[in-house]
Parts: sequence; structure tokens; C-alpha cells
Amino acid sequence: MRQSRASTIGAYVVLGVLALVFLVPFYVMIRNAFSTSSWISSPTWHLLPNNWGSANFARLLANTNVGIIQALGVSAVIAVIQTVLTLLIAAMAGYALARLAPTGRGPMRRAGSVVLGLTLGTLMVPSTVTFIPSFVMVAGLGWISSFRGLIVPLLFSAFAVFLYRQYFTGFPVELEEAARLDGAGYWRTFWRVVMPNSIGITGAIGTITFIGAWNAFLWPLLIGQDRSYRTVQVALSTFMTSQGVDVPELFTGGLVAVIPVVLVFVVLQRFLVEGVERSGIG
Amino acid sequence: MQAQAVERSLTGERAVTSGRRRVVGGRTFWFWVFVAPFLAGLLTFVYVPIVWSGYLSLFDARNTVTPRPDQFVGFGNYVSLLTDKAFLTSLGTFMVFTVVIVPLTYAFSLGLALLLQRIRVARTFFRSVFFIPTAVSYVIAAMIWRLSLFNGARFGMVNTIVRSLGGTAVGWLSGDTPVYWVVLVSLRLWLQSGFYMILFIAGLNRIGQDMYEAAALDGATGWKLFRHITWPQLASTTAAIVLLLVISAFQAFDEFYNTLATIGGYPPFARPPLVYLYLISLGGGSQNLGLGSAGTMILTLVIVVFGVVQLVGTRRLEAKR
Amino acid sequence: MTHHAPLGGRGISRRGLLAASTGIAATAVLSACGTNSGLSSSSSSSSVGKANLSQWYHEYGEDGVQAAVTKYAAAYPKASVSVKWTTGDYEKAVSAALLTQTVPDVFEYANGPTADMILAGEVLDLTDVLGSAKSQFNASIITPRIFRDKIWAIPQTIDMQMLYYRKSLFDKAGLQPPTTFAALVDAAAKLTTKDVGGFYAGSDSGVGVLGLLLLWAAGFNSISSDGKNVDFDDPAFYSALAAYKAFRDGTGLLRNASAEWYDAAPFINGEAAMQWTGLWALPKVKAALGDDFGVAAFPAIGSAGKPAVAAGAYGACVAAKGTDPDAAKAFVKWLWVDQEDDQVEFSTAFGTHIPAKPALAAKATPLASGAGAAAAKLVADNGHVPDIRWTTAIGTAYSSALTNIIVKGADPKTELAAVVSTAKTELAKLA
Repeated sequence: MRQSRASTIGAYVVLGVLALVFLVPFYVMIRNAFSTSSWISSPTWHLLPNNWGSANFARLLANTNVGIIQALGVSAVIAVIQTVLTLLIAAMAGYALARLAPTGRGPMRRAGSVVLGLTLGTLMVPSTVTFIPSFVMVAGLGWISSFRGLIVPLLFSAFAVFLYRQYFTGFPVELEEAARLDGAGYWRTFWRVVMPNSIGITGAIGTITFIGAWNAFLWPLLIGQDRSYRTVQVALSTFMTSQGVDVPELFTGGLVAVIPVVLVFVVLQRFLVEGVERSGIG
Repeated sequence: MQAQAVERSLTGERAVTSGRRRVVGGRTFWFWVFVAPFLAGLLTFVYVPIVWSGYLSLFDARNTVTPRPDQFVGFGNYVSLLTDKAFLTSLGTFMVFTVVIVPLTYAFSLGLALLLQRIRVARTFFRSVFFIPTAVSYVIAAMIWRLSLFNGARFGMVNTIVRSLGGTAVGWLSGDTPVYWVVLVSLRLWLQSGFYMILFIAGLNRIGQDMYEAAALDGATGWKLFRHITWPQLASTTAAIVLLLVISAFQAFDEFYNTLATIGGYPPFARPPLVYLYLISLGGGSQNLGLGSAGTMILTLVIVVFGVVQLVGTRRLEAKR
Repeated sequence: MTHHAPLGGRGISRRGLLAASTGIAATAVLSACGTNSGLSSSSSSSSVGKANLSQWYHEYGEDGVQAAVTKYAAAYPKASVSVKWTTGDYEKAVSAALLTQTVPDVFEYANGPTADMILAGEVLDLTDVLGSAKSQFNASIITPRIFRDKIWAIPQTIDMQMLYYRKSLFDKAGLQPPTTFAALVDAAAKLTTKDVGGFYAGSDSGVGVLGLLLLWAAGFNSISSDGKNVDFDDPAFYSALAAYKAFRDGTGLLRNASAEWYDAAPFINGEAAMQWTGLWALPKVKAALGDDFGVAAFPAIGSAGKPAVAAGAYGACVAAKGTDPDAAKAFVKWLWVDQEDDQVEFSTAFGTHIPAKPALAAKATPLASGAGAAAAKLVADNGHVPDIRWTTAIGTAYSSALTNIIVKGADPKTELAAVVSTAKTELAKLA
């Protein structure tokens, strides 16, 4: 695509300004976490923190009562397992809805639309209230304070299925047909041809799933009643609502909540980016 | 080639090739195999609670999930909500909110994606910068916005900027003026546009270079290029994204709640239907599941209607091409 | 996309910036106590023949509380009680747990169980448990929580909010601590300077925390005595609200400070001459200001008004579906009625609270003199606990009305009419 020098420079300028604006909240978090309370609330805005050596971090990490380190481990396990399984389940279902919906005249001919409708339907139901019957049900199954209870009910993501379905809908048929010509069945085609060429969307959906699992609060709060099943968000809420926590400590807690995910993201980022680039097959 | 691509993206059906009779029976079988884990889980862990909630919505179910027959109220909960001025106001406000925020987020995310396409150097860096806010939980983000950026006191960051430009500190969240919408919209855009930008990038990357080159040969540039090549090719992506944005707008809860709520309650302005529902059915230790479920069902219906309208509208636009 | 929810569509991260529940000022007093805890919980020994009881507490903000309550539970001879220390949104966790098969046998709840919990049969009547000891307890804490003529929880310890004022600033201006609202407005205006505000009650101009207090100070009850309507639909209350609105529009009310109302930092830092905050702030204020502060009730508004302070107490409840309700009742009686030393320790050793039995306040050192004693007296004379019939729906309608009246200048009569209709419907269900 040919474009003028000026428009490229213009793009850089706009992107530069926007990027700066987008980074401001992170800057604020860091500045506040490493400043004293009075520094933050003084009438003149201090650009730099004044308490770099803040012991807040060390104190938070060492606080055995909050148990951040263990909670980080629990959250990591849950987030990883939940992400991997959700992706598997959603990719298969999305592919089925995009490619394998039954056609023809049999009684199954509407199956695809029905399942798609069911899927979209659940997207539209807010879970503010429905989580209570969910909880009672899961409690009835005896899954309180277990990884099963923490993970399994959350594996069935209509959102992921929908995104996969939309994506597979536009997936180049030629690749699949080539595989068919080579004699591969649906299963093989899916795992050997389709998925390896869908790294971009998988990366995007996986990232969002991971983040959602990491940031979840209410479900882990209700299910993870035992200390050893406490996730990072629940543990942090302990810290951030404790007596005498001041603004710098609040932001320290915020950083602890955010940094692990950002790190994971930065690491996986190349994977995601390459995938997105590569999925541009015409 | 172009027509085929469009058709493919609309209907998602494969071109029929010969020699597939053996496979067609197998296809249905494989459909079910692929869909089974998801469907089983969905029905068990998502639909059972939803249906159960629907059941509860017909009862005066307070602090119980197994109401007694004498607690049956039929549509009583629905009626009381639909005649509740505060609930209707919140629905109305959020319909307006949706109509504003969806195009805004859409345009902003698309704009970012298009801008990123134009540059070569540091593309990864910019992409990351815009996507990283997605990793921040709504609670933490609301904390930053409320306590630091848009704090109504003099030392709030935006107030500092306002004061340095000669103005006076603004009470962003006090409710005297509608400026809290600035806070809420900026919060939402920061948190969400990165993700939709990525979806747009994936969609844009699927548009083949050859298509652009063919158009260039015909003399199309800039806006014409966008309107006739890019925009139509983004059809399925657009449909998905707009639907998700609409759903997200109506289901707004966390960023509003954590930005505006105080220990004393939640102010009556900028109150999403879900927050209001929460306040009257689940807040303060109460557990009015009948009323909460009824509200959930009403809200779902509203979302479905909006979703259907949007899908039909998009289909109409497709058909025109 | 509901970004915050894991993609299964569940798990909304609803952690407020503050502990526990919201909705009405009812639990505001208690929730601002914060959370934090001491050592990790341990179960007490279990031996054959004794009942096994589970006791749930929310996560208290002060250190050492968890160790203390575990100690009390372990000392109980007639059953083995294991303490569960619950983090996060306690009310939600408890009410969800009460729906399952394994309920907590004994649990605390903000101001005792809600009317809905009682009507759903989730908790047991504790009138006999309290028995004749009822007279030993602070009546203003117990009476508003009586439902269907029965008592449903034993108060554990009392928290309260009150007005803190800077003695030196008042003396310099020749002012007395205000006993009427007009005096408060006047004092606030006089004490406001470029750097110091007059009165501070939060960034929402006090509408949240002072909600119920305004009607108490104006001399009204929240619910009428026949339980069918609200008590405050009266022109005297409209003028009280108008007076508060005028106060907000004037110079005396500080609208923004470095922290919210429940943190005494603005008062300590000298950002305001008066602040409405809680008893929990007393140690910090004392440490920072020494004797240069006093405490008072919210002054009376209008001619029929009476000074008021807001109070609240977590109440120990017994679950109806517990494993051994009689054993649970016995335990609650033992700990919260009989074990007075434990009660005093619980109230005063970890932050400052007031024992539920007024007589014990005299035994507690922090409350024997000075501001502590003044606070104890305020609760005894002017303390108000929300009425058990004041449901969340009524509270939400009320706080919305108040915001509209005070912030947006709406007409009190029209706004409160909406509250009245909501209240009538709600109260009819509780009848």
C-alpha cells in the first residue's frame, strides 16, 4: 500500500500522543506507589515519586497473613489451566459452528443455528444474579474449596466460541480443502491445518481468557473458602481494605495485581503478534 | 474472488465440492463431537443457573433458592421493576449510553488499527501499549481514575492540568455537572479499545494485498480505498465487534460501581441497570433473588432486542452491497 | 464483552475499594472498620462426644483479632468450635453459604440478621439466650433490631461515628462545640479559611454517610412505629434537608480532601476543622493531636431535633440449619453474654470499640476517660442503630432521593414521595 511520507509521519505523531496518554495510568500507579501520602496530596503535582525505597512492596510480599506469594501461585495455576482448556473447548465448538453445521434435510439441519443461538443467548445474560444458583449448584456438587470448583464452571465461554466462530467463518477454505485432498478427516484437518494457522486469534482469545481468570474476584471468593485456595485478587482485597492502608499502599497493591499479567503479556506478546501477522493469508 | 470472499464471510458455508457423500454423514457426527464438550458444559453450568434464575423470578424468593409454593408471585417481580421509575431511568440512560459508546469505541479501535497498519517501525511497541490496559482489572483501573486522575480535590491529575490552564478544580464525580461521563467513558475506552483493536488487526490482515493492489490500479486511494475495500471486508469482524460492544455496554457494572460507589451507596446518576438491580436485590446483605432474577431477564431481553436489531441491520447493509 | 468476567460469564470482580457491604449507611459504620487479620486461623481441638461447631467472622481490620477469637473459641468447654476467618465481601459469602447444605453454625452479621434472613428461616430466635441479661445491654442497640417481638442476635461490640472538632480552632474563634445545626453551619463558615475547611464528611458532601443521621438528628425515626410507612415524610424534615443543602452550597462544607470520611487524615492534617468520622480513628487522632480535639454528636436539626450519633454492632447469630443449634445457642450465650472479660478485650484491645454492655465500658481503660468516655456516653444517650425493617430497597431509594435533593436541588417533597411508595410496598411484605 503506497502512502505519502507525510501521512506516515502524521500517523506516528498521532500514535505517539495516544501512546503517551495510554501510559499515563501506569505512570500514576508507579508514582503513587512510591510516594508518601502527603507528597501525593500536595497541591502541586510532583512528577516524580519521593519514596523509591518504599518498604510497602517488601512488607506486602512478606505479610504472611495476606499470603501473596501462595496466592500468586494459586492464581497462576487456575489461570493457565482455565485458559488452555477454555481455548480447546471453544476452538472446537467455534470450528464446528463455522464449518461443520449440518446441512441437508435431516432433523439435524437446524442444529448449527440452535447451538449458535444458545451460545449467543448466554452472552446476553448478565451474571450478576445467576451466580447464586451457580454457587449453590457447585456447592451441592461438593466442589467448594477445590480446583474443580474454581475452574470447571468457567470453562464454557460463549464469548470465546463466538469469536472463534466468526474467525473460522473467514478462514481460507483452500487450506482445508488441500488437507481433504490429502485424505485427512475433520479431526486431523482441524488439529494439523486449521489450528496451527490460527495462532493469532488463539493468542488474542487466550490472552483475554487469562486476564479474565486472573482478575476474577467473586467466584474465587465464594468457592475458594479455604486459605490454600485463595487467589491473588482475594488476597489483595484483604490487604487493600485493611485498617490504616493509605493511598501509596493501595497503589502498591494495585501494582502487585497488575504486574504479573503485564509480564505474562509482554512475554507472550511476540507469539501473539506473529500470529496476528501470519493470519493475514488472502 | 472478492464476491466469494464476501459470501464466505457472511454465511460461513463451505463451497460444495463433489465426492463428499461419504463425508456428509460423518460431518454431522463430527459436528457433535466438536461441539459436545462445550455444549455439555454450557447446558450444565450456564443454562441450569439461568433457567433456575428464571424460575426464581416468578417467586418472592428472598434468601432462598428453593421457594415455597405460597411465595409464587407470577409476574409480580417483573411488574414492580417495570413500574419502578429508577429502573426505567437507568435503562433509558443506558440505551443512550450504548448508542454513544458503541460507535465511539468502534471508531477509536478501528482508528488505532488503521494507524498501526500505516507504520512499520515500532509497530509492536505501539500495539502493546494500547493492548496492555486490557490486563488491568476494572477494579484497579477505577481506583486509578477515581483516586488519582479524576480526583475532585486540587491534587487530582486532571484538576492539576485544569488549574495550570487557569481553571478551578472540578468535582468530577460529585454529580453537580455531568462531567462524570468524561471519567467513565475515558475509563472504558482505555480498558477496552486495545482488545477490539487487536480484533480489527486480525480482520484487516485477512484482507489480501492483491485486493488493495487491484484497487490501486483502478486509481483508488485513501478514503475511497477504505470505503470500498477495507470496510466491506471487515463485515464479519464488524458484526462481531458491534455485538460484543452492545452487550458490554448494557452489562456495565464493575467500572461504574468502583468509580462511583461510596459506603453510603451509589448515586442516582450514571447508574447502570445492573448496578441498580444489584443495589436493590443483592446489596447491603439482602438476597432478593426473585427480583434480581426478574431484572436479569428483563435486561437480557433488552440486550437481545438490541442485538437482533443490530444483526438484522448489519445483514441489510451487507445485502445492499 | 464483559471484560471483567472470566469468559465463562461469571466471577464478577466486585471488590469495592472498601470493606464489606454498601447500600445504606446502616452497615457503613461497621464496614469502614476495614479488614486485616492476625495469625492464620487454627481449629480448636476436637474430641469425641462434643459438638463440632463452625463460627464465621469477617476479616477485621485490626491485628490480633483473629488470634483472640480463636482463643475464645478454644476455651469453650462444651463444644469444639472452629473459627473461619472470611476475607472479602463477607455478607455475600455468608448469605451464599446459608443457601447451601453446609451452613456456618454461628456467624456474625452486621447489626444481626436481616429481616429477609429471619423470614426465610435461616436464623434462630435468641430471645431466651439473652433472657434476663437483656437489661444489661445497650437498649438503643437492641430495640431497633427486634423483629416480630423477638431478638435474633447478640451484639458483640459497638462501633460508632461521631463529630471530631479541633479544640484550638474553636477556642481561638470563641466558639462552642455546636449543639444545633445552625450553630454547626455558623461555626463551619467562621472557621473556613483559604487552607482549612469547616466541616468534612466525604467527597460526596456527606450525603452517603450522613443519610440516616440527618433524619435522626431532625428528630425522626426511619420507620414509623406501626411498621407500615416511613416516619419522616414531614415538612420539618423537608426543611432539615433544605438546610443541609444550603450548607452544602455555602462556604462551610469542604467538598474534597485527601481521603474519604472514614479516614481521619483530613482532620489530622488540618484540612478541616471538623470531620465526621468513626470511633476507629480515635487512636490515630489522639496520637497525632493529643488533647487538641473533642468529640460530639451530630447536632440537632430543627426545633424537634435531637443530637444523634450513628452506631452499629455485629451480632452473633445462630443458623437454623446448623449441625447442632442448641449447642450453638449455648456457645453464643457463653461467649457474648457471660464471658465479660473476653467482651471487654474484644472491644478495646484491638482498636477502640464500645462493649455492648454499658457497664463494661467503665472497666475498659480507653473508655474510662477523655474522648473515649465521651464517645461511650454519646452512644448511650444518642446512639441510633438502623431499624431492621429498613431494607436495602428502601435504603437505595432514600439515598438516591437525598442525592437528588442535596446535590441537584430537587424538591424534597416529590423526591421523598418516591421513597414513601417504595417503603410502603417493602414494609407490607415484612408485615
